[in-house]
This record gives sequence, C-alpha cells and structure tokens, in this order.
Amino acid sequence: MRQVAIYGKGGIGKSTTTQNLTAGLAELGKKIMVVGCDPKADSTRLLLNGLAQKTVLDTLREEGEVDDLSQIEKVGFGGIRCVESGGPEPGVGCAGRGIITSIGMLEDLGAYTDDLDYVFYDVLGDVVCGGFAMPIREGKAQEIYIVASGEMMALYAANNICKGIQKYALKGGVRLGGIICNSRKVDREEELLREFAKELGSQLIYFVPRDNEVQRAEINKKTVIDHDPNHPQAKEYRKLAEAIENNTQFVIPKPMTQERLEEILVEFGLMESIKDNYHI
Amino acid sequence: MAQTIEQPRFTCALGSCQSVVAIKKGVPILHSGPGCGVQVERLIGQGEGYAGGSTMPCTNAEEADVVFGGEKKLRNVIENSFKVIDGDLYVVITGCTAAITGDDVAAVVGEFQNDDKPIVYVEEGGFKSNNYVSHSRLVKAIIDQYVDKFNEDREVIPKLVNVFANIPYQDPFWNGNLEQLKRILTGIGLKVNILFGNESEGVSEWKSIPQAEFNLFVGSWAGLDIVKHLKRKYGTPYLHFPYTPIGAKETSKFLREVGEFANLDKDEVEAYVDREEKKFYTHIDKMASFMLEFRYGIPRRFYSIADSSYSLGFSKFLLNELGIIPGIQFIVDDVPEKYQEGILEEFSKISDLQTRTVQVVFDPDAGLAQKKILEDAKDYSDKRLLILGSSWDKHIADELHADLLIISVPVQHRLVMNCGYLGYEGGLRAIEDIYDRVLATYR
Repeated sequence: MRQVAIYGKGGIGKSTTTQNLTAGLAELGKKIMVVGCDPKADSTRLLLNGLAQKTVLDTLREEGEVDDLSQIEKVGFGGIRCVESGGPEPGVGCAGRGIITSIGMLEDLGAYTDDLDYVFYDVLGDVVCGGFAMPIREGKAQEIYIVASGEMMALYAANNICKGIQKYALKGGVRLGGIICNSRKVDREEELLREFAKELGSQLIYFVPRDNEVQRAEINKKTVIDHDPNHPQAKEYRKLAEAIENNTQFVIPKPMTQERLEEILVEFGLMESIKDNYHI
Repeated sequence: MAQTIEQPRFTCALGSCQSVVAIKKGVPILHSGPGCGVQVERLIGQGEGYAGGSTMPCTNAEEADVVFGGEKKLRNVIENSFKVIDGDLYVVITGCTAAITGDDVAAVVGEFQNDDKPIVYVEEGGFKSNNYVSHSRLVKAIIDQYVDKFNEDREVIPKLVNVFANIPYQDPFWNGNLEQLKRILTGIGLKVNILFGNESEGVSEWKSIPQAEFNLFVGSWAGLDIVKHLKRKYGTPYLHFPYTPIGAKETSKFLREVGEFANLDKDEVEAYVDREEKKFYTHIDKMASFMLEFRYGIPRRFYSIADSSYSLGFSKFLLNELGIIPGIQFIVDDVPEKYQEGILEEFSKISDLQTRTVQVVFDPDAGLAQKKILEDAKDYSDKRLLILGSSWDKHIADELHADLLIISVPVQHRLVMNCGYLGYEGGLRAIEDIYDRVLATYR
C-alpha cells in the first residue's frame, strides 16, 4: 500500500488535482482511499458527485463515538473509498488536533485494509502545526507531492512545506516524490517549476496545463475523467496518474533560503518579465 | 538545556484557583482537563473550603472540546455554577487545554459580566508560569475586571490599608498569618483590608481596594506585582516589607516601618509595640527553666527548604531570638533572578551584633537540597539539628535524627487550622512547635 499526502498553498488546486489524479489511478485498476484532511470537508466532492457525507469529526461530535466505518466512509467514482476528517467551525477549536483525532480513529476502525493500493491524504494548505503534519508522521504517508504553480506565493508555500517534510524525513521514512504543477498560465512557468524542483533536489513530476474543462467538470460535481473521458484534459490527468504510479524518485528535500528562492524567481520567473514589460 | 527538577514545591499556573478559594464565598470555575484541580488541591490544599478541591466547578475539557472548542461547555458550566453555588465572586480560570485551543473565554465571561454578574476570568494555562507568578495575575484580573467597577467617585479612606502577603494555600499558614497581620496592624491604628481568609469581610472588602490610603506587601517577591499594579492604576503608594516577620524583634521592626510610612502617631505605635513585646517576653521568661534543663538537647543549627519569605523570616528569628544558627538555606520558590540580589542583601543584614554569612541556595530542586543537607550535616553530627521543610523531608530528618518543623507544602504530617508563625503570637507558636519536638523525644 502506498500512502501519499498532497500538500500545497491554499487554493492551488490540491483537492481538484487529487481527485482527478485518483480517478486516473482508479482507471488503471488501483484500489484507493482518499482521506480529506481539510476542515472544509470538500476533498471528495468530485469523486462522490457532490454526495455530502458525514465527516469523522461530525460523527464524533453528534454521536460521541464512531463504531463503524460505514458511518463515515462512502464509495465514489471507480470504487474509490472516500473519508472526510472535517473539523470545527472557522475560528474555534483546534483543527490540527481534529486531524490527529480522525486519523487515529480511522486506524482504530481498521480503514487501512490490505487490499488498498493507495491511500491519499488531501491536506489543508501549509504544515502550520503538528496536527497538519499528522499524515507525514512515522507509519503514515511515505510519499508527498506538492501542488504548486509559477506564482510566487505558491513557491514560498512549497518551500515552507519542504521544511516540514525535511524534519519528518530525518526521523522517519517520508520522502518528497515531486512537484505537481497546476498551471496558472504564468510566463515561463514550466521552466521555473523545473528549476525550483531541481533546487529542492526533487523533480517536476508533471505539468498539468490549465483548461476550463476542469471548471466545467467541477460545476457538474465530477472529475474530468468522469465528466468527459475523451477530453484532452482527461488524458493529462491519466498521464499524471501514470507518472505517480511509475515514480521512483523519492528524496529528502533541501529547502532553500529565502534569498535563494527569490534569486530563482528573478532568474526564471515572472520578476524579470514584469520589469521588461513595464510600461506606463 | 532542559533539566529535571525533583520535588518542585509549587504547582502550575492553575494553582491560583486556591487563591479564589481563600476569598470568602469565592468560587473558582475551572476550564481545564479533568483532574487538574484535584492535582493542585492535593499538593497545596488542606481542606476544601467553601468551593475548593472536588467542589470546584470544572468543564473537564476532553477531546471534543479541543477539536470543536470548549466555549459552549464553559458557558453551560458557568450558568449552572450560578444556580448551584451561592458565591459572591466567581473566577473562571482556564487551564492548558483551553489556552492552547484558543477558546475566547473573554467573550463568554463578558456575556455574564454584561449581565452584572460578579464574574471575572484569568488565563492560567499551566505552561504560563508557576503559581507564585499566577497568583498576581489572578488578583490583578479581579481588580481590573470587577473591583474597578466600584471605583467611581473614589474617595480615599484615611488609614485604610490593603494587605498582600504570602500566597494562600501555597503558604500552609496563610490564614493564621493573615489573622495575625490584621490583629497587629489594627493594633497600631490602621483599618485593614486583609482580603483573604477568616478575618476578611470577603468581597465587600475587595470593593474598597481603590480607596485605600496605601498598600502593604509583606513577602519577598511573589505578589509584589499586585501593589505595583495598584500604584499604576490608582496611584496608591505601597510599602514592601521583604520577608515574613516572626517573633518580637522583627514584628516590632515591621510595625515601626509601617507606622512611619503611614504617618501614624509614633507614641501610639510605640505603646502597642511595648505591650506586645512585654507579653511576648513574659512567655520567654517562663521558658528559662526548660532551656536550662535541655541546654544540651536543643537544636543548634537549622536548615530550611522553604520559600524566600519564610527562609528570611525564620533565619532572623531563630538566630536572634533563640540562638539557633542558620545552616544552608535552600530557597525553592523559583525566585526570578532580578529578586535574588535583594534577598541575599537581607540575609547579609541578619545579625546586628556580628558579621554573619548565611549560605543561600536558590534552586527549586528540593531533591538536590535534601542531598546537600545530608552531606553538610556530616560536619555537625555532634549537634541536634532542625529542618524547616515539608512532609517530603521527613525521611532525611529521620535519617539525621533531626527535628522537623513542617512549614511548607506538601503538608501531610500535621493539621493546620489557624496556626500562623507571623507576628508576636506566631513567634511564640514557632517556639512551642520547635521545642515540642525536643520534649517529644524526652525519655
């Protein structure tokens, strides 16, 4: 069983990428569980065609305990088992602790069955505290993919996440599998991401081009593969799935200093082109 | 680097709940995990009081309260505390769990404050400090959130003094000591807000805190923040007497200082001091035959494992009134560095008659203190020794055949009701208790 965690800046498209990717893996005949680790509980909407499901923590709150996996698990597209950790309302409680609680509960309930080929953790934004690092602690996800784009803040966040990964990698077995670019159509984006990944000691595992079909599928509560299997974007996600399936490059990332990160941005990224194209 | 402290003789910040218990009809409401309150009470409480120990309302915060926040539960516990416990002042004290989760306790308590309920809150996440420090935070919270409401048209009441001294329950004799303080300060002509314990009039006394002519802080450091805060807030001047005065000499010195600070009639103060001293020394006179008979069997040297206020107070008293020489003084109230010099300075002035140096160790590690006492005592094996410590020091006292006077927490081998060692009467009580141990070994 490969346990995979997906991190990345908020709004970068982690959940969209994870669901489209796992749909591609499901087509390859893989058995998959997706664990949404975001208090918003929107990590499995496309796989479940919008079917709202009860989160682990909602069940815990209302019933005091969860005694059966069927209370919290729903099967979606391609037989993918979907679980949402859920969390408190915005502004109260401790979402990080919520993730620790719910992953602990999944273990107790025996959710990690031997027949699974993949478990995906779709984690909220950054590794802000111990709770959000739960999926990469010892015995959980061994491989991590960071979703990023050519935008500066996405790379700052990715570099920061690498610091968290490095900490846990030195203690346990977690490794960075690569950077997935979810394109924002920024100039020289692929080149920049390739250089950024190289600097981290990792790879740009796949460049997912921007296409409005993704949004159309989302509105229809579907992944692209589910919505229009013949669309070129569906092929892109299938290729991403293959890249993940065949990936062999797992490294301990070498996060950069702020200065170095900014140098790369100037060298390969937008900054230079903004300067060149700056007209009053 | 992290270090291990063996036998810390204080609690975490949550220990300030005991200060609420010490206020007449004060009700602490804990927003903490189950067992936190009992743990505090086990170490520094003896008897539950009005709403202490297992009577304390508590949210018993558990996992769901961490993940989803505990505000709803807290509101519920506060509402019900008002229904079932008849209190004059309710103090919500948050422990570690709520402090880390970040529950908006101010907002929840604010709802009740807006309804004019006598309630305040203070964040005492255990990790914030020990209870020596948190006590001040709690008292300041009561002043700022409650007492201050009654501060309109404030008129200073002449000769009214607010007294702050050792921390209730952390000092096992807090109640007796405060009774003595009130007695002697009233004796020299002051009106006294003693604020905690039996002799206090409870919350009504607290309401007149801003009207005091001055504040008095008796102790080495823990609580000094309170009088400084009152000076900033109301401009009330304060006098700091830096240790617990025990016996006639120190108490007379204390009263004279207070009298001078408060501009009291000197003759009145002297007349009172004279009366009290006469009484005190009449008893000492009576003891002469005992001293003669037991001159070879009374303690000659003492060690203390105690807080700085007691360590100083007892050292001065035992040396100057009973001739018992201070051995190493282990000060275990985790004194912040900035106060240590002042304490050492007081120790250096211990004797008027000769230069006497007292070895002082500032270290909250009482286990280490015990080890050092066992080593040091080897040099005095021909002398009867006295240890001022806690119940945890019983085994070293037994090993050294030393007398043990339990003056600090935990107190498990004696019952404390109104006993206090402060003042004239406290001094006599200390003599009784110390020489009782001599007589107890009489064959």
